[in-house]
Amino acid sequence: MKKLVALAMALTMCLSMTALAENPYRVGICQLVQHVALDAATQGFKDAIVAELGEDAVKFSEQNASGDSANCATIVNGFVSDDVDLIMANATAPLQAAAQATDKIPVLGTSVTDYATALGIENWTGTVGTNVSGTSDLAPLDQQAAALHEIFPDAKTVGLLYCSAEPNSVYQCDVIEGYLVGYGYTVNRYAFNDTNDVNFVTQQAADNSDVIYIPTDNTAAANTEAIANVVLPSKTPVFAGEEGICSGCGVATLSISYYDLGYATGEMAVKVLKGEANVAEMPVSFAANVTKKFNRANAEQLGVAIPEGYVAIGE
Amino acid sequence: MQFLNSLLNSMPGAVAQGLIWGIMAIGVYITFRILDIADLSVDGSFCTGGAVCVILTINGVPMAAALVAALVAGFLAGFITGVLHTKMGIPAILAGILTQLALYSVNLRIMGFGTSAGSRSNLPVSVDKYSLWVSARYVRDLSTKNPLPVILLFVFAVIVLTYVFFGTEIGASLRATGANAQMARAQGINTDSTKVMGLMLSNGLVALSGALYSQYQGFSDINMGRGAIVIGLAAIIIGETLFLKYFRHNLGLIMFSCAIGAVVYYVVIQIILKLGLSTDDLKLLTATVVAVFLAIPNLKLRRRTWKKGGKLHA
Repeated sequence: MKKLVALAMALTMCLSMTALAENPYRVGICQLVQHVALDAATQGFKDAIVAELGEDAVKFSEQNASGDSANCATIVNGFVSDDVDLIMANATAPLQAAAQATDKIPVLGTSVTDYATALGIENWTGTVGTNVSGTSDLAPLDQQAAALHEIFPDAKTVGLLYCSAEPNSVYQCDVIEGYLVGYGYTVNRYAFNDTNDVNFVTQQAADNSDVIYIPTDNTAAANTEAIANVVLPSKTPVFAGEEGICSGCGVATLSISYYDLGYATGEMAVKVLKGEANVAEMPVSFAANVTKKFNRANAEQLGVAIPEGYVAIGE
Repeated sequence: MQFLNSLLNSMPGAVAQGLIWGIMAIGVYITFRILDIADLSVDGSFCTGGAVCVILTINGVPMAAALVAALVAGFLAGFITGVLHTKMGIPAILAGILTQLALYSVNLRIMGFGTSAGSRSNLPVSVDKYSLWVSARYVRDLSTKNPLPVILLFVFAVIVLTYVFFGTEIGASLRATGANAQMARAQGINTDSTKVMGLMLSNGLVALSGALYSQYQGFSDINMGRGAIVIGLAAIIIGETLFLKYFRHNLGLIMFSCAIGAVVYYVVIQIILKLGLSTDDLKLLTATVVAVFLAIPNLKLRRRTWKKGGKLHA
């Protein structure tokens, strides 16, 4: 027991000595899960801050809940007890945990689609108004619906394929369904619960739809190969909400870059850290530019004519 | 010093979280140690408790009623596992997995109650809008809003009530079932009903813990119970390792040691996170710790018998 105490003391002494740099800003990053898009957002966030303030002016503490949303409270508790200068919450559950844990430390979210849904806010004005703000990964759904209609004007039925466990996906499907119905499509929903029933649900969607739409869905993004193995043989084209899904199993997409989104969040963070802006007055911002992209191999295989203005992915 | 300071500062949060999970660990203790059943339905019922509590709270139901409802929902989940196991003859571990799987859909529906889609995976419940009994927001404040006293009260109430229950005739027959089912049957105990009862009680406590935790973290989420059983087991094992020497003869104290075990678990997690361990490796570490501590009593026993044997044949 004595040895343990001595060891612990020695450890804390070492750490406290190394920890004393010249008062850099301390930023805690809580990310929900290891995932390409979320990783890109975190990277963009850090790059933006380092680009504006320099490598030594900021110290990041980056932690990942590994998909277990109950971990977020533990991670955020660490940040709050450290009294960090800013918390970056990458995805919905970290944002909720951070907003619950503190009303003083500024919290910036990213990769969150709809802040009103995530934080239970009625009468949404575009600004949260507390210590919370951030960026939304909501793709311009009206433009996506228009692009889908441009490529598939003769289709009758559109199937919405998504994971029912992802609030962001449900929200996007709710919104785009309205636009698609406006174009005269019959819209049906096909939701899978997790990785295990992707194959079966996709088969159902492919059998009953002329076109499939997949929003920015993490589970779908992780299963593009399984989806491709169903939709390509059945000749059902997929319009995707982001580039990753499109390059795996889609034909075309109107996509935002999570790196850019994270970068924009980082720029907001710099303003907050320097005291140039009050987080309560910062509106939630969106991706600045969208890119029209298409998957050449899949488009040719399914015989889909891609209009002007689309860039082939990976060329 | 800075490190020590921030570590001390993070302790109230770690203790609060640990105590809430401690209620869950007591629930797991009932099945794992008393009934001798590994019940995996808790991964689902933890979220069920949270979902029921949050959906009722945001629909204006008083907190006390919402917590009772969560408890009852947990009873139901346990009842289903129990019936699958005893009446349908499905092995306990599989019955638990089946319930856990089914609860995933049920939880989506519970949280989606009243929405157009009818299912939701995540439900926020902010302390700014609802009068929550426990919230991470005030865990460091010296005020009446601090969640720690409330949580402590819950832990003690749970321990006292379960302790009293296990002292009654029904409770004693439940313990007899776990100790020696055949002997219990010979004494005229219906071991099927005692097993169902134990599973109900266990899942009820787990759901109550989930209800408190969702308030504490400010949301319920479909993934919040993932791997909960491992945390529960870790808490039990840490508690036993630290206190079993002293607490062996009192069930109430043993349950208390489960709660302390959960607190120790979260304090340790908080420390290693502060020391800079990557959270990517956290699950491997937790699983290893649980496996090692589960194995130690076994290995000790083997060594002892081996030594004895060696002497005899020398």
